[in-house]
Amino acid sequence: MVSETYQRPEPRQPSRRFGDWFRLRGRSAGGWAFVLHRLTGLVLVFYLFLHFYFLSYLARGPEAYAVMVAGMKSLWITVLEVGLIAAVLFHGLNGLRLMLMSLNIGVEQHEAMFWGTVVLSALLTAVAAVLML
Amino acid sequence: MSKPHVVIIGGGATGAALAHDLSLRGVQVTVVERGEVTSGTTGRHHGLLHSGARYAVKDQESARECIQENMILRKIAPGSFELNNGLFVAITDEDMAYRPAFLEGLETCGIPYKEITPQEALAREPNLNPAVKAAVEVPDGTMDAMRLPLRFLATAQSNGAVVKTYTEVEELLMQGKTVVGVRVRDHVTEKTYTIGADLVVNAGGAWSGKIAAMAGVHVPLQPSPGVLVAVYGRWNNMVLNRMHRSGDGDIIVPQRTLSVIGTSSWVVEDPDRLEMKKEHIQLMYEYGAVLVPAIKNAKMRAAWAAARPLIGSGGAHTGRELSRTFKCFDHAERDGVEGFVTIAGGKATTARGMAEVTANVVVRKLGLDAPCRTREVVLLPHTAYYRRRW
Amino acid sequence: MATVTFKIYRYKPGEIDPPRYDTFQVEVEDHTTVLDVLEMLRLDDPTLTYRHSCHHGSCGTCGMLVNGKEVLACVTNVLALKTKTVVVEPLRNAPLVSDLVVDMTPFFEKYEPIGMPYVRASEYLPHSQPPEEVGSYMRFENCLECALCLSACPVVATDPDYLGPAALAAAARVVQEPRGQDVHGVLALVDNEKGCWRCHAAMECSAACPNDVNPGGMIMFLRETLLAGKHK
Repeated sequence: MVSETYQRPEPRQPSRRFGDWFRLRGRSAGGWAFVLHRLTGLVLVFYLFLHFYFLSYLARGPEAYAVMVAGMKSLWITVLEVGLIAAVLFHGLNGLRLMLMSLNIGVEQHEAMFWGTVVLSALLTAVAAVLML
Repeated sequence: MSKPHVVIIGGGATGAALAHDLSLRGVQVTVVERGEVTSGTTGRHHGLLHSGARYAVKDQESARECIQENMILRKIAPGSFELNNGLFVAITDEDMAYRPAFLEGLETCGIPYKEITPQEALAREPNLNPAVKAAVEVPDGTMDAMRLPLRFLATAQSNGAVVKTYTEVEELLMQGKTVVGVRVRDHVTEKTYTIGADLVVNAGGAWSGKIAAMAGVHVPLQPSPGVLVAVYGRWNNMVLNRMHRSGDGDIIVPQRTLSVIGTSSWVVEDPDRLEMKKEHIQLMYEYGAVLVPAIKNAKMRAAWAAARPLIGSGGAHTGRELSRTFKCFDHAERDGVEGFVTIAGGKATTARGMAEVTANVVVRKLGLDAPCRTREVVLLPHTAYYRRRW
Repeated sequence: MATVTFKIYRYKPGEIDPPRYDTFQVEVEDHTTVLDVLEMLRLDDPTLTYRHSCHHGSCGTCGMLVNGKEVLACVTNVLALKTKTVVVEPLRNAPLVSDLVVDMTPFFEKYEPIGMPYVRASEYLPHSQPPEEVGSYMRFENCLECALCLSACPVVATDPDYLGPAALAAAARVVQEPRGQDVHGVLALVDNEKGCWRCHAAMECSAACPNDVNPGGMIMFLRETLLAGKHK
């Protein structure tokens, strides 16, 4: 003889937003690696389309292409190019780290591997910057 | 004809076992618990699957209850215990003086035991105090304080019981001198509503006294807390007990990757204010070190207190004087209040037995002819509790 | 003794909606844990809801975010946090019931089918001689079913079909110590794009785990096992 008709409301579903990937609050080293890998990956994908766009100048003839390339020789563009190199380096080196982890190699040391990746990427980026700037 | 409906106040070990027992007997059960299930005393107990040996001299009724329920639990809840047995060890001459009465008590209470040499004891437990003079092996074990009751609740749910957590009883609904239901507040929404019942069972553990007062009846419930300390490391695989009159810090229960040293005893008025005694933490380390010397350097994971629901009138000083047995109060007989039963006291190990006694009273009052089946029915796994519509 | 500011997330459908933070000034001592504080606050405000049971990090019910990190409140010492303000919020990636209480049903929907036995061999004190009738010593598994790993996992955050670290770690334990379970069947459960291959190795699960389950490491062990074809 349950007389109540009370019904408790359903729990509130967790929000699933695109931006949740990039949350940094409360994350540890492996989580930063995840975020950086995604960011650099997005940068690389974006750059890929940009690269095709620039290459498409070839279709307008060698003159047009040469003019475009000459116009790319500004400081700002070079800075962006250094940034691109940093992204390629981190994404590539961290990618190697991820491959090793997936083979169950070095998983215990994954944080050290992350810092190694960061340091190596930074060093090589610095070398590139010196060469380019 | 519709099933009779019983509301159980309290979602701890007792409420869980009773929900299971009554559901098997064809009763519609609603458990109301003001917090998370087992968030009262149940979740915080030492985790000892008692062989009863601890009570074999001074509290033989409780000892017999423990060993019987110990054997039943192994059958109905397989896979829920660390079954490594336990040792009672004599360290001092005083302990040795206790030994004859101890062995006699084990015999009297029907607790299986095996006397082993100190060398054998040290081979079983290398961290044991090398000064051990005598050792007796008994069928102690470790239980998971929360997950075992979850198995009872899961099985009850599968038989139609409804468990309402964060649902606090604010008032017992009365018609004259008969309890006809409860008025509750759902702390998820803060809305109040009523639940009608053919009978209400007070399984509130340390809060049974407060709940009984809602019906204007008195239950002699003395909340008696004690301190427990969990340290990192599994210093012993078997339960280790001191072979002496029950005292403080004389049991180390291994659990998972931890060792739990306990316990102590004092009394309080309000089960919500346990007046945790921090100085007992150091005491636990000292007493624990008598059994396992190396434990004095173990890093602490947690120290906490929980209130034993002991049955006894005023005059108790530390709680150690009171029996650990249980009692079912039919308030119609005692107080002239119909439709209301209290089950109080007891130990986690004896929850099923407490439920059997209570359910017998409940079905008799409801006019049902339904025998108890909880000695045989194997319980669902604890994970099944969560197969539920919120 | 010190006074610490606590900001507690409050939500009740239809009652505290949208959510808000309640602020309290709390006196804490050396031993005080976040759970102790919640218990103190509840005495004055019985509407505060949270899960708890064992008070020593074994039942796994008191999982919540403290200053943005997944912890078990019962073993989180307040002064050790070394912050003037402590923010307490419910776990991520789980449906919210009220205040700090999350719905564990989705967790167990993924976890239960793995069928990991709750008891395992005890590796402690390996040179001791168990009683004959016991055989070999046993203990409970490490996993507390606390869902801190699911809260921390960035893939669980965006993919509701991902099995998740807890279920995958349980599967790995069955492979490591079968105890009569069907290893083939368990591997089949995880060898797919929503199983162990969905993980992106953020290892936040292992960082959050309060009891050394190392789910991230277990997932990599599953990958290694599947790649090596050991159980074909």
